[in-house]
Amino acid sequence: MNKRTQLFFLLLIVTLIVSFVGHLFAGQVKITFSDYWNSIFHFNESNTNHLIVREFRIPRTLIAIIAGAGLSVAGMFMQTLFNNPLAGPYVLGINTGSSLFVACSMMTGLSFLQSDLGIIASALLGALVFGFVILFFSFFTRHHVTLLLVGLMLGSFTGAIISVLQTMSSAQELKAFTIWTMGSLQHVQFDQLPLVILFFALGTIGSLFLIKPMNVLVLGEKSTELLGFNIQLVRVFTIIITALFTGVVTAFCGPIAFVGLAVPNLTKTLFRTQNHSVLLIGNFFIGAIFLLISDSTIQLLEGTIQLPINAFTSLVGAPFIIYIVLKRLK
Amino acid sequence: MIQFNTVEIGYKQALLTINKLELKKGEVYALIGSNGSGKSTLLNTILKKNPVLSGNVYLNSTVLSSYSVTELAKTIAFVDSKFDGIDHLTVADYIALGRTPYTNALGRLHTEDHTIIDAAIEKLNLGTFRNRETLKLSDGERQMVSIARAICQSTPIILLDEPTAFLDYGNRKKLIETLSGIAKAENKCILFSTHDIDICLEEKGINLLVINQSKKELELYPNTISKSEIISIGFTLVNE
Repeated sequence: MNKRTQLFFLLLIVTLIVSFVGHLFAGQVKITFSDYWNSIFHFNESNTNHLIVREFRIPRTLIAIIAGAGLSVAGMFMQTLFNNPLAGPYVLGINTGSSLFVACSMMTGLSFLQSDLGIIASALLGALVFGFVILFFSFFTRHHVTLLLVGLMLGSFTGAIISVLQTMSSAQELKAFTIWTMGSLQHVQFDQLPLVILFFALGTIGSLFLIKPMNVLVLGEKSTELLGFNIQLVRVFTIIITALFTGVVTAFCGPIAFVGLAVPNLTKTLFRTQNHSVLLIGNFFIGAIFLLISDSTIQLLEGTIQLPINAFTSLVGAPFIIYIVLKRLK
Repeated sequence: MIQFNTVEIGYKQALLTINKLELKKGEVYALIGSNGSGKSTLLNTILKKNPVLSGNVYLNSTVLSSYSVTELAKTIAFVDSKFDGIDHLTVADYIALGRTPYTNALGRLHTEDHTIIDAAIEKLNLGTFRNRETLKLSDGERQMVSIARAICQSTPIILLDEPTAFLDYGNRKKLIETLSGIAKAENKCILFSTHDIDICLEEKGINLLVINQSKKELELYPNTISKSEIISIGFTLVNE
């Protein structure tokens, strides 16, 4: 690790701490530091501020970190796997898969599927199925834009199915699903956190074992095999890890656009390396910081305008992607 | 090191026959033949990318088909005709990837790996640009860097697919000399396909494997063969 990388890591740690603390205090209700201290160590159920901290602030801050980090790492893996700077869980339709399966489970009226575990299971399964669909199509096309178009078409196709489902569902189910699709970091409850953290930790541990094959995959699939990897196994494992991150984030926050596409590109540009152990940590930090700052901004603007997180990340992310397209694929 | 026992190779139909042949350690073999005669097919067969149609190929007296992907990576290093370079990938990081078959699941390099990497960099005089990006090298430099990566793989065999195809005369000569030097110094068996007949004949001690065009057979010749003989065995000239 060179000096430059170490300096960046140091800067990122400081920025993460600042944006973490900033996010905790960003909401409309004024909460003091002592409220935080007491709500953790001397919790009092009748104190509104304590409840806000436990029920809203802490889960929201943690999920912002997890969602930002998870989606960015997932995006990094997809970009290396498909050797495509425009790949990401959102543009390639992995989120769409989660949306479709969640829509099915939310609007079928089966009570088991509407439980927490039911939603997570559907989101994970959807991400996994669509991940393998994209993997399948990637065998036929090596071209950057073609794969993207397949992802977009997959999105339109799924959108149509969801529309049909919506016409058949009840008003209440429809409302729940519509709110879910806007994406939000505030739906996660305190008692759901252990489940989210568990899945995130699983994904993170899995990611460590992808560092080595990803470093080699940069050289192409033929070189990867000749350096001793079973390429099919690498592909499948990458899709599973990507689906795990995307699925769990999508289940709790709804679809969040462009984070998984923009952050990995930004990270690579900053660190100027193909070493995936550096990139993994970089994406972790930058993804978390990006979503913390995005969500803090949303909370600060709440008095004047209501911005869903998905709208915000699209507003920032879409121009960035146009920039990448113009710069790298001209 | 590499033994062939009446081997037929090709896709569905046999393209080339290799009767009895052994490629030895410490020797360099230049594979010469016309376009489509089976040079790449032969390399791909040894790399297990192409099936052996009949007969047996042995590496180190073990039959090729019994090699796993991991074992093969520790036995053969492969260099492509062109490495385009990758943005943000430095020369040192690229060469270090040659150690992949020996590192643990997390890909951590140990002192021993660093020693091997540094030795390879020094051997090919790449010290001055070890921190340069691979994308910013010339074709000649990139080919040398690829060979350094292959050396780091610490394999008894190195295969190269037309390594001189995109180089100028000076770099072609330098590359073939380098291969010859590595084979002797590290006791490796090196096989490369090429169209640079002249340079291979000039460089002492390079064995010539010529694909006989009429018999569709691979034949081994010593360095003393003349250029005109090679051409009459391996190629058809339009004006004759």
